[in-house]
Amino acid sequence: MPFIKRGAATSVPDSDADNPAAHVERLNSADAEIRWAAARALGGQADAVPALAAALGAEKVQRVREAIMTALMRVGNEASVMALLPYIRSQDAGQRATAIEALQALPSAIMPFMPALLADAESDVRILATELARNMEANDATHVLCKLIDSEPHPNVCAAAIDVLAEVGTRDAIPTLKACAERFAGTPFLPFAVSTTIARISDTQG
Amino acid sequence: MAPLEAHGARAIHVTQEDIRRLCEFLYRRTGMSFDDNKRYYIDRRVTERMAATGSESFQSYFATLRSDADHEIQHLVNAFTVNETYFYREDHQLRCMTSSLLQDIVRRKKNQDPIRIWSIPCSTGEEPYSIAMWLMENWADVDSHNIEIVGSDIDTRALKAAADGIYGARALMRLSPAVVDRYFERLEKDEVRIDPGLRDSVQFTRANLIDRSDMARYRNFDIVFCRNVLIYFDDASRRIAAENLYDCLRPGGYICLGHSETMSRISPLFSVCRFPEAIVYQRPEADRDGK
Amino acid sequence: MESEKTRSMPRARILVVDDSSLVRLYFRTALEKGGFEVEQAINGIEALEKILAQAFDLVVVDVNMPRMDGFSFIRELRATAGAVAGLPALVITTEAGRQDREDARTAGANFYLVKPVSEADLLRYAAILAGVRA
Repeated sequence: MPFIKRGAATSVPDSDADNPAAHVERLNSADAEIRWAAARALGGQADAVPALAAALGAEKVQRVREAIMTALMRVGNEASVMALLPYIRSQDAGQRATAIEALQALPSAIMPFMPALLADAESDVRILATELARNMEANDATHVLCKLIDSEPHPNVCAAAIDVLAEVGTRDAIPTLKACAERFAGTPFLPFAVSTTIARISDTQG
Repeated sequence: MAPLEAHGARAIHVTQEDIRRLCEFLYRRTGMSFDDNKRYYIDRRVTERMAATGSESFQSYFATLRSDADHEIQHLVNAFTVNETYFYREDHQLRCMTSSLLQDIVRRKKNQDPIRIWSIPCSTGEEPYSIAMWLMENWADVDSHNIEIVGSDIDTRALKAAADGIYGARALMRLSPAVVDRYFERLEKDEVRIDPGLRDSVQFTRANLIDRSDMARYRNFDIVFCRNVLIYFDDASRRIAAENLYDCLRPGGYICLGHSETMSRISPLFSVCRFPEAIVYQRPEADRDGK
Repeated sequence: MESEKTRSMPRARILVVDDSSLVRLYFRTALEKGGFEVEQAINGIEALEKILAQAFDLVVVDVNMPRMDGFSFIRELRATAGAVAGLPALVITTEAGRQDREDARTAGANFYLVKPVSEADLLRYAAILAGVRA
């Protein structure tokens, strides 16, 4: 048979495995492969957040940016949230999407930032911010999303918030939803979204 | 809608809307979708899982599911799917390997580097042995190359069973009698054993997909079969595992996921490749610059 | 009237692509009432995978999706090898300005509708576009 068996594991592990300072240095390497490995090695290291944030700002290679964002996501504290937040405004759709994915996975850490995000002047930012409520506890998510919808003029933002409520919301959202349907009565989509969502959540207590 | 009984426990009330909500969540989270004629079946499985998790209401079960406490998403999906393993499962990917992937890999290969194929998780070994048999049976060039097949799993008991190579007759259901004759010997009690030559052709190791230092020992694979596991990891673990697999692949190397998995829910690191037999994913040959 | 016509023939298959579950449900409900068979995808990658695996007569895609927007998706579709590259595409945009019509056309969309889309408009144009390749 043509099958050979050698050591399946053929490479030597990184000897600097426990040396974060060395990895922080390597975030500045000219070699993308080295920067990638450094970012990966710093995953979850809270002390490395400033260095990771700085590296993210300068990084041109897409997969290294992804690895830095994973590393920040794994820290998951307020500083890492602040490092990730600017990227929800990025011109690069991939960066925006990864930032949202990363922040969505940190529901407690993102919570203090939600009021400002949901009141952002840009409707696109408000739309993205509704996604951040998806992994929140039902009452928390319901509370922030209803507060948004109650004063939101833009139908697409309301639609985005209602989509999240359909998954996460409790029946405490019903008055807000009904008022929203009234504000947009006669438009094709929002009344449908509201009635569908109310049907889904009406059994769910807060 | 009438309340549904769950194994003699008092009736737990689950509505059509509850099921829609759950299906919508499952689709977003895993990509699996269920059409309306499967809905009754889902009702039954959900009430079973509610009983199994001690959930007193759909609301509390759904909260458990959403938070994926104790891997509930995997438990629920396992309740829907047939979990048998057998040889030549998802053979369209094996066909893709011999009809499309290998010729590209061989074309790009320098020197006499072996072709390295990895099955992770390999469970009790059906997948890596299937790869070996399939190559012998279906690849004209199989004797012109050195091929390394590795099977890895986090479960050492499964790995021991894989190395032993003993299976029940049901595992053979997709194999022709000729293939069974060539690679298996029949034992008592309706069991079979993989021939020593083939057992010797696969290397089994313990590895944890999420452990970077574990995975750092594996490099330069041409094809990785990583089926039906990534989609169940939490957000951070999925990204870590995907980054680990990226490192384990050669540039241009391929990764095959499970039947209803899509890389779009797992990681943006890989490109989508469409072949006549299957859709697989590829580590790009070169880095892409962003804006 | 539409459903009478289609009942005697295999129903046209439409793929609806949108990251919002409620929008997908809205479109699916309307299109199924109109006699179409409907599949869904949550993003452009999944949509491309489904198109490569199953036959469709039309794809309806939202322009504002994360990671891969509707125009990028259509460009990718048009660049695919084989017959699927010609799949009719109806894009749902948020603006009706000239730039958006241009963008829709350069991306390779066959037609566009502006949100919010009425059931009547959706059905009218889906029927026309899904019939284009017959």
